[in-house]
Amino acid sequence: MEREAKGKFLTRAGIRLPLILWSIAVLYPIIWMILGSFKSNAEIYANPWGLPESFNFNNFIDAWNNYNIDLGVFNSLFVTVLGALLTLVLAVPTSYALERLNFKGSTLLFNLYIAAMMIPMVLGWIPLFFLLMNIGMLDNLFGLAIVYAVSQLPFSIFVLTTFMGSIPKELEESAAIDGMSPYKILWKIITPLSMSGIITVTIMNAIQFWNEYFMALIFLQSRENYTLGLAIDFISREAAYTNAWGTLFASLTIAIIPIIILYAIFQRRISKGMTEGAIKG
Amino acid sequence: MVQTKKQKYLFLAFCLVPTFILFAIFTLYPLFSGLYFSFFSWSGSAAAREFIGIDNYIRLFNDGIIPRTILHDYFLVITKVFGIMVLAMYFAVAIMQMKIKEAPFYRIIFFFPNIMSVVVIGILWTFIYNPSMGLINSGLEAVGLEQLARPWLGSETWALPAIVLPSIWAGIGLFMLMLMGGIGTISKSYYEAAELDGANEWQQFWKVTVPLLWPQIKVAVLYIVITTLNGSFIIVQIMTGGGPNNSTHVMGSYLYQQAFQQYNFGYGATIGVMILVLSLLTVFLLQKLMKREKVQY
Repeated sequence: MEREAKGKFLTRAGIRLPLILWSIAVLYPIIWMILGSFKSNAEIYANPWGLPESFNFNNFIDAWNNYNIDLGVFNSLFVTVLGALLTLVLAVPTSYALERLNFKGSTLLFNLYIAAMMIPMVLGWIPLFFLLMNIGMLDNLFGLAIVYAVSQLPFSIFVLTTFMGSIPKELEESAAIDGMSPYKILWKIITPLSMSGIITVTIMNAIQFWNEYFMALIFLQSRENYTLGLAIDFISREAAYTNAWGTLFASLTIAIIPIIILYAIFQRRISKGMTEGAIKG
Repeated sequence: MVQTKKQKYLFLAFCLVPTFILFAIFTLYPLFSGLYFSFFSWSGSAAAREFIGIDNYIRLFNDGIIPRTILHDYFLVITKVFGIMVLAMYFAVAIMQMKIKEAPFYRIIFFFPNIMSVVVIGILWTFIYNPSMGLINSGLEAVGLEQLARPWLGSETWALPAIVLPSIWAGIGLFMLMLMGGIGTISKSYYEAAELDGANEWQQFWKVTVPLLWPQIKVAVLYIVITTLNGSFIIVQIMTGGGPNNSTHVMGSYLYQQAFQQYNFGYGATIGVMILVLSLLTVFLLQKLMKREKVQY
């Protein structure tokens, strides 16, 4: 009995080994990056992959004060919050209309939005660059937030219509009989009842906007408008000359902390949202 | 209160029109106007825009870098599909079949890189590949294989394969969860029946798990292909910028270089059209190729 248990334990251990190795492969670089942000440059050169001798926050202070990371954080927060709100304002009414109001062309419109998820947007970025320039929104965080919001519309509409489809129709019908206007139904009944979907979509969009790099690279130019990703990229490109590795790690850590916090709170919602978004899309 | 027709249409317009206008301005218009720009020679100023017909397309076919960028894109597609699918499948099957009790731990850890910024992933891995301080070279030296150590991202041969690894690293979790979701819906009785028929675990995997999991496998492969063709240039841009000597340029990073660094906006748009055509064509062919009769036991 005991021997059998031992044999089983060994096979299980053998199957487990790759899982454990991959966990280390995922965790070690991330933990190492966070530890690196507490090391002095001399320490990074002498002992790049070990533990820091002491935890000092000089790199964070340096990144924040001397490398525009403070601006990067505020700018990223600004486009993230504004972009996520704007996406909701645009996506919630449209999702409701597409899901619940029968009108000619509703399937066509829905498919148009969904098809946009598969189209490579790179092609559109060139005309978008000139469009933003002509309306004075180039190198402008408002402009970037609008572009972000519209870019996440298809995904948001897709997820929200699924959620709204599960709300029982009777609620709206009885509210309409009681004389509630459709605007009020949307605001007082549909929005609260699809809150779970709205939260999921908003978290996913916020992560997307916080992490976004390439559109910011194209549509922003002056350093005071740089989002966090651009500011970090700037430090990284300079690090070859300035050797400010500690500062670079500190700024990477600053970028990842909000994501870790969000993930710690909403882990299930995020992984479910992304998996389902991919499967049905 | 009965709504009048007019009120109904007004509400419908309220819901749909503002969103659609913004979508048309910021998504539809740029796409179509990108197609249109591809017939112009244009360095940015409105006055200098000149219609040149299909000259950009002729240039595209004669540009020696273009075939390389296409090749690099498909190299990434193929290595990522195999790398991610093999590992994600192993992890998913191991976790689901073994009923490992720390399964939530793996789920949480493996998925996390999926929501990390490409900037963070790219810079982190650039440092991992750093010739003097990086983890890879120090690791090789530590186990006595220092002759294998090399400047990974600075080598024309190794830079592109070096970019595959972080892409796989960052992608596994999502696809593992997708496959796990599929495995969870497969009834135990199929495995019991297969076992009675004397099928070993390997046969069970190929004869039961794979066919029944095919819808998820198909979606996962398509998703990897689409996101790679439409987005692989981001990590390339961060890690190598297309270098050394164009050895890592993919279509998107070459477009960025042509349009936004060398101000050949017309030619950039032509490259964009090529990306669109190739990506739609690939997805279409792949869907045909992966079509299988739905399995029912």
